[in-house]
Amino acid sequence: MACYRTRVISNTASHVGAADQYLVARAVSAQDTAAFGELIRRHQSQVRNFLRKLSGDASAADDLAQDCFLHAWNKLQTFTGRGSFIGWLLKVAYTTFLQSKRKSKRYAEILDEAGYAEDVQSKSYTVQSDEITDLDKFLAVLSEEERAVMVMSYACGLSHREIGAATDMPVGTVKSIIFRGKEKIRTSFDIKDHKHG
Amino acid sequence: MISKIINMAEKMQDAEDRLLESMFQSESVADNGFSDRIVRRIRRQMWVRRLALPVAMVAGAAIAVKPATQLFAVGSQIFASLGVESLLPQAAVTSQLPIMVVGGLGLAIALLTFRLFEE
Repeated sequence: MACYRTRVISNTASHVGAADQYLVARAVSAQDTAAFGELIRRHQSQVRNFLRKLSGDASAADDLAQDCFLHAWNKLQTFTGRGSFIGWLLKVAYTTFLQSKRKSKRYAEILDEAGYAEDVQSKSYTVQSDEITDLDKFLAVLSEEERAVMVMSYACGLSHREIGAATDMPVGTVKSIIFRGKEKIRTSFDIKDHKHG
Repeated sequence: MISKIINMAEKMQDAEDRLLESMFQSESVADNGFSDRIVRRIRRQMWVRRLALPVAMVAGAAIAVKPATQLFAVGSQIFASLGVESLLPQAAVTSQLPIMVVGGLGLAIALLTFRLFEE
């Protein structure tokens, strides 16, 4: 048992400085969960922050993040290595988020058909916290799609091309969504002294 | 070259972009066992997938022992009544069959247990 534990620790230690692509290759070819664990450790903060900003609920976002990493493990062989790993991971996170939204919407419809009223936050962005920050106010005026694109751009630092790949949209559409999002924020919060981006 | 120019153009930010970027920045979320929990779930999932087929086979074989023995006995009787010689004496095989199947099951379980420890 001690030998096994030492082996696991040494495996994890050998993965610490490795590149994402190498860790993905290890995880896919050898089903190396320690390599995937290192990938989770590296990117969990960004994925959880992305989902928290998207959903406005920290605990629901963490559940979604868990599902996202499980999906990522099952679909890891589809990562071609062309873009960044975080870009691919955020695509999985966004898909997971949309799927959960669809599920809760369907659930609300079934309850509605059965005659039960259910308060499901299918469209609006509701912050599940006592503290409402300026960012929460910004995000509340954006649509779900705009929120996802803006968060990927400004919080995660993804390029327009990476956002396009993550959301299955052309780069031109991504740019216009960002422009529209900025416009909404500008008009909603009366920001005047800046040039259009 | 064109892609480099596009990337440079993307990176050129105005004051509004910088303001938004600073607004969107948030503190990194502490791991607090989050990654270990997922890795544990993945390992459990892998084990369930690996064991599902062998366990189903062992369970199926255990359920099928008695009917298979009876079927073999009936088949041997039919062949005997048709006058076809069986390769092995019927009585010997019928009496040994359950032991052979139980032995096979024991071997399968031992191999599975060995693999479990090896993992």
